[in-house]
Amino acid sequence: MLESPLNDPSATLNFYQQQLLKEQERHAPKEYLYAKLTQAKQFMDKHYGSPINLEQIADAAFLSKYHFIRWFKRAYGITPKQYLTTIRIAQAKRLLRSNVSVIEVCGQVGFESQGSFTNLFKKMTGCTPSDYQRTQKSNFE
Amino acid sequence: MKIKVTSLMVDDQEKALKFYTDVLGFIKKTEIPMGEHRWLTVVSSEERDGVELLLEPLGFDPAKTYQKALFDAGIPAMMFNVDDVQQEYERLKERGVTFSMPPTKTGTVTLTVFEDTCGNHIQLVQV
Repeated sequence: MLESPLNDPSATLNFYQQQLLKEQERHAPKEYLYAKLTQAKQFMDKHYGSPINLEQIADAAFLSKYHFIRWFKRAYGITPKQYLTTIRIAQAKRLLRSNVSVIEVCGQVGFESQGSFTNLFKKMTGCTPSDYQRTQKSNFE
Repeated sequence: MKIKVTSLMVDDQEKALKFYTDVLGFIKKTEIPMGEHRWLTVVSSEERDGVELLLEPLGFDPAKTYQKALFDAGIPAMMFNVDDVQQEYERLKERGVTFSMPPTKTGTVTLTVFEDTCGNHIQLVQV
């Protein structure tokens, strides 16, 4: 990261690089906060398979639940819950493609009931987990 | 309504197909002859049912002007997500890709910008 033209005062920056530099300066005072948010995000990346709740995720960032949700949304554009759902569904798709049964997938990506898993999966992908598995299978036959 | 395809203007479809498959590692999904051009899309090898990227010919002159203006300002015409920006940067550099911006951290993201040899800057983002 040392060779970045943004760190070189003698470099001639193009328009986009100038904009980025401004962004970096705007973010600089919040570095400590971003480090905490990243920690919380990594906590979700690691534990999405367990039924984790918002308190546990906020704890990983050493922030109160209220501040955590607000800052996470501001940094990533989605709420922590939406992020968790996104990675759970992405992992569910991977597992379904490798032929793991729907019931097993549901448990492995941290959902407590198969009904809520199926509903959410349908909302996110446009089809049910079993339909998804069936189409993926037929694509490779 | 569903978002299935997004497009990127390229100055040469054949060259673009080579770069986006051989160098970046995407996979050709559809190819339909259309007069002197083609309907030509690629997808990510990690997400073959994902959004398709249409490599669109520059058949419309004002589009060339717009593409050049974006390029000269260093503004990415397209953005792809990667798990590890540093690793992709090194992999692509080894393959001779020219970068206008090495991996750079801003806020919670790390990004890098390279030239696609078809008239565009492309940004890679790690969230």
